[in-house]
Amino acid sequence: MSIFEYNGSALIAMVGKNCFAIASDRRLGVQLQTIATDFQRIYKVHDKLFLGLSGLATDAQTLYQRLVFRHKLYQLREERDMKPETFASLVSALLYEKRFGPYFCQPVIAGLGDGDKPFICTMDSIGAKELAKDFVVAGTASESLYGACESMFKPDMEAEELFETVSQALLSSVDRDCLSGWGGHVYVVTPTEIRERILKGRMD
Amino acid sequence: MGDSQYSFSLTTFSPSGKLVQIEHALTAVGSGQTSLGIKAANGVVIATEKKLPSILVDETSVQKIQCLTPNIGVVYSGMGPDFRVLVRKSRKQAEQYHRLYKEPIPVTQLVRETAAVMQEFTQSGGVRPFGVSLLVAGFDDNGPQLYQVDPSGSYFSWKASAMGKNVSNAKTFLEKRYTDDMELDDAVHTAILTLKEGFEGQISGKNIEIGIIGTDKKFRVLTSAEIDDYLAEVE
Amino acid sequence: MSKAVVDLPPKGGFSFDLCRRNDMLAKKGVNPPSFRKTGTTIVGLIFQDGVILGADTRATEGPIVCDKNCEKIHYMAPNIYCCGAGTAADTEAVTDMVSSQLQLHRYHTGRESRVVTALTLLKRHLFSYQGHVQAALVLGGVDVTGPHLHTIYPHGSTDTLPYATMGSGSLAAMAVFESKYKEGLTRDEGIQLVAEAICSGIFNDLGSGSNVDICVITKGHKDYLRNHLLPNPRTYISEKGYPFPKKIEVLLTKITPLKEKVEIIEAGDAMEE
Repeated sequence: MSIFEYNGSALIAMVGKNCFAIASDRRLGVQLQTIATDFQRIYKVHDKLFLGLSGLATDAQTLYQRLVFRHKLYQLREERDMKPETFASLVSALLYEKRFGPYFCQPVIAGLGDGDKPFICTMDSIGAKELAKDFVVAGTASESLYGACESMFKPDMEAEELFETVSQALLSSVDRDCLSGWGGHVYVVTPTEIRERILKGRMD
Repeated sequence: MGDSQYSFSLTTFSPSGKLVQIEHALTAVGSGQTSLGIKAANGVVIATEKKLPSILVDETSVQKIQCLTPNIGVVYSGMGPDFRVLVRKSRKQAEQYHRLYKEPIPVTQLVRETAAVMQEFTQSGGVRPFGVSLLVAGFDDNGPQLYQVDPSGSYFSWKASAMGKNVSNAKTFLEKRYTDDMELDDAVHTAILTLKEGFEGQISGKNIEIGIIGTDKKFRVLTSAEIDDYLAEVE
Repeated sequence: MSKAVVDLPPKGGFSFDLCRRNDMLAKKGVNPPSFRKTGTTIVGLIFQDGVILGADTRATEGPIVCDKNCEKIHYMAPNIYCCGAGTAADTEAVTDMVSSQLQLHRYHTGRESRVVTALTLLKRHLFSYQGHVQAALVLGGVDVTGPHLHTIYPHGSTDTLPYATMGSGSLAAMAVFESKYKEGLTRDEGIQLVAEAICSGIFNDLGSGSNVDICVITKGHKDYLRNHLLPNPRTYISEKGYPFPKKIEVLLTKITPLKEKVEIIEAGDAMEE
C-alpha cells in the first residue's frame, strides 16, 4: 500500500472566468474503514486564497499549521496578504526542505491574484510546482479526476457553471475510488464572494 | 556573536542614559563625505561626493553607490569598509527572500532587515556599531521610496534627505528646493545643485556619483559622461 | 539560550526530522510516494555563434502525465541557461539555488558569470549529496571565453561536449545528433536540428511528450523560444462543454460576501481638530 492511500482523498481546483473553484471529498478513512464523513481537507488561508491538502491527514494538518504560522508572520511583517503565486513558492520551499524525509501530502493551491486573476497550482510531496491554466487534481482519485476534468472542462466558465462542472467531475470520480467519497465540499470564489457548498454523494 | 559569557557588548549605557558608542558612530558619519537622496514623483535619485585621498587613485575603482537588488540601490556616508559588510549582508538577505517567495523583496522589508543587522551590532558582544548611515533608494509595487538607516538601526522614509559633512546646509537647501510633483530629471538637477553647495573644488563627473531608479524599476549608477551631461544642463 | 520552540523561517539546508518516522512506515510495508519526474528529453549543441538548448514539456508521475506543458529550461544567469531532467523538485531547486549564488557572485565581481562557475557550483552540490539529489542537467551558455556546453550527472560527474542529450529520451535524441550534427551550424540549422532531436524524443520516448522549448544563447543575447513547436495540439475538446441534465444535490450553501478593502484617505484632517 502507498502511504497516500492510508486516509484516502480527492482534491480538485478549476479556473473559471475571473473565478476559481476548489473542491474535495469529505471522507477520512483508515485504509478501508471510514472514520469521519465530514472531514475538512480545504483550508482558507485568506479570503482569496485556499489550500487543499491531500495525502496523509496527520501530515496535512501539521503542514497546514506551519503554513498558517508562516502566512500570519508574513501578514504582520509586510502588512498585506500573500499573493497566491508567493504562497505557492512558500509551500514549495517548505516541502523541499524535507526532501529526504517528506511530508506525505500533495497540496493544491487556488487563489485570486493581482487584478483578481485566478491562479491554481499543485505540487508533489517534495514541492515540484505544477502551474496549470485549466485544472489541477490530487489524491487517491486523481487518475479518474484527470479523466473527468479533461472531458468536462471548458475555458471561461461563469461561477455557477463552474460549480456544476467541478461538482460533477468530483462526484463521478470518487464513485470509482473506494478510498474517497461521502459527498463533497466545494468553494467557488469570485472577486465579490465565497460560495461554499456541501454536496450529497454516495454513502458507500 | 555573544556566545561566550565573557564577551559583552561594547555599546553600554552611560550614567546619563546615552549610548556613547552610537553617538561616536554618528560622529563618524557626520564627518564622512556628503550623500543625499531625493524621491521624485516617478523615481528616486541618490548622489554622493567621491573625493579621493590623492589624484593618483584610479577613480574608476571606487564605487560608492551599489545595487542591492535590480530595483534597489544604496549609498553611504561614513566608513567605506563597514558599508561593504552591510551591502554583502543585505544582498544575501534579498536573495534569500527571493529564493523563498520567488518575488523581489519589497524595499521596506530589505530596509528593515538591514536595519536589524545594524541594531544587532549595537547590542552584541565583541562588535562595534557600524560607522555608516545608508540611503536606500528603491522602486516597487508601493512606488518610489527613499529610506535612511542610521548606525543605531533606526530608519525613516524621506522625501529628501542628506547626511555626512554639511548635512544641515544640504538639508536646508533641499527643504527650499523640494516639491512633491518633482520629476526624476528635476530631482537629479536638485541633487547636483545640493552637492555643489558644499563642494570644495570643481565638481565633475569624476568626483561625484549619482544613482537613479525610474518607473522601469531598474536601478543604475550614472556613468561619468552622463553626469557631465547633467552638470552641463545645470549650468 | 535554549533552542527556539517555534519554527522560524529556516536558514537553509535540508531538514531530516521526518526521516526516522518515514523509515519506520516503510519498514511496516507502507510505501513512500513517488515523486514527480520530468521524464524528459533535453538536449544542447554548440553552433557557430553560441549554444542552443532544447527540451520537451512533459512531466510524469509514474505512468501518469501530470503536466502537459511544463518548463524544463531553467534560468541560471542572463547568459547561461540549464535544462533539467530527473526529479522535478530537485532540478528546480538546484538550478534556483545556483542561479542565486551566481547573482551574488556577479554583484561581488561586477562581471558576467562564466559557465564553468555555474558548472562547478552545480557539480559540487550534487556530488556532496552522492546522487540523492536526482538532477541530470545540460548546462549551456556563452561567456567571455566563448560558448560552452556541459552535461552534469546526478552524482556530480560532468562532461564537456559539442552536442549533448540527457533524460529518458536521450538515446532517441542522440541518434539524431550523431547522424546530423556537424561543426559550424548556422542558427537556423541549429534550431532545426535541436527541434528534430527533441521531436524524436517526444515521439519515440514515452517519458517525453507535448511541445518543444528552445533557448538560443549567443554573445550578449538570448532568445527563449517557449513552445517553439506544438506538434501535439489538443483535438478532442468539445466547444459547448458538457451538459448536465440533472443538477448536483446540494445539502448546504453558505455565501460569504467579500468586503471591499476600504482605503482611508486624508485621515490626518480629523486628527488636527
